Amino acid sequence: MSMQGVIDWLTATSLSQAIQTTSWAIPGIQVVHIVCLAILFALALSLSLRIAGRGLAREPLASLAGRFVPAMGICLAVLFLSGALLIIAEPFRTITNPIFYLKIGLLILAIALTLWLAAVARRPAAKPSAIHVAAAALSMLVWAGIIIAGRYIAYV
Amino acid sequence: MSVEFLEWLQGTPLALYVGETWFPLVESLHVIAIAIVAGTIFLVDTRLLGLVSTKLPFTYVSERLLPWTWGAFAASVLTGVLMFIGNAVSYYENTPFRVKMLLLALAGLNMLFFQGVTFRSVAEWDLARPPAAARAAGLISITLWCGVIGFGRWIGFAS
Repeated sequence: MSMQGVIDWLTATSLSQAIQTTSWAIPGIQVVHIVCLAILFALALSLSLRIAGRGLAREPLASLAGRFVPAMGICLAVLFLSGALLIIAEPFRTITNPIFYLKIGLLILAIALTLWLAAVARRPAAKPSAIHVAAAALSMLVWAGIIIAGRYIAYV
Repeated sequence: MSVEFLEWLQGTPLALYVGETWFPLVESLHVIAIAIVAGTIFLVDTRLLGLVSTKLPFTYVSERLLPWTWGAFAASVLTGVLMFIGNAVSYYENTPFRVKMLLLALAGLNMLFFQGVTFRSVAEWDLARPPAAARAAGLISITLWCGVIGFGRWIGFAS
């Protein structure tokens, strides 16, 4: 099936039709998406700061990662779900949009960096080195890039 | 606010420049700033509700996170003003925009009341479950900031 075929099929589904014909549905789903990304971003920032020995430094890194990484996973799940609904509602905005694929690429990188840092953090008496601090800083830039790419989907 | 002033504002070279070239980037930076503001506030508020970070004193959590909140708030005001001046008249008349500003003011009042009244007894509950007034402040704050994000997103759909 061609890209256009996928778009036509998705647009015709009853779920897509229901979202398109409900005036508040798309902004409502976007608000859920933004609230979740705010929580995810703050959790990622707190984890990255802790890896650099800053932020909530009084709590052991393993303990903080044990609390925040699963919470980030829950946020990501809601972001995937709300994002999927937005794609189903308006597939023409994303499926042929190169910025959307850039966003997905950055997302895979951010998740990989976070999982690696989480594995480092879970080691008993974990002591992050400069490379981990650099990776934590990079992950924040990548999360920021994901937000920027997400907003640019509307403009490209 | 006078329409003449708003019209002058959106005719300034800066407003025209942002509107023609930089709007999507300024908007993206606004979203990042809001994410840090609201996200860190949610972390402090859920601690205030006694739900998370309960092994850390409340004062410690707020002291370590709120500098980020304020820095990002300054960035969100700056980027917000840059977006506003590009279309000052229509934003000023936009109902979701007005509701968002009202909710921001209420969030500020909630914070001032908490700082001025509830927080005075923090020594008694810094490591314990915060009292009802503190939990109420946390819940009100979370609700208002969700509202700020909600009406903020609605601005673009109502203009």
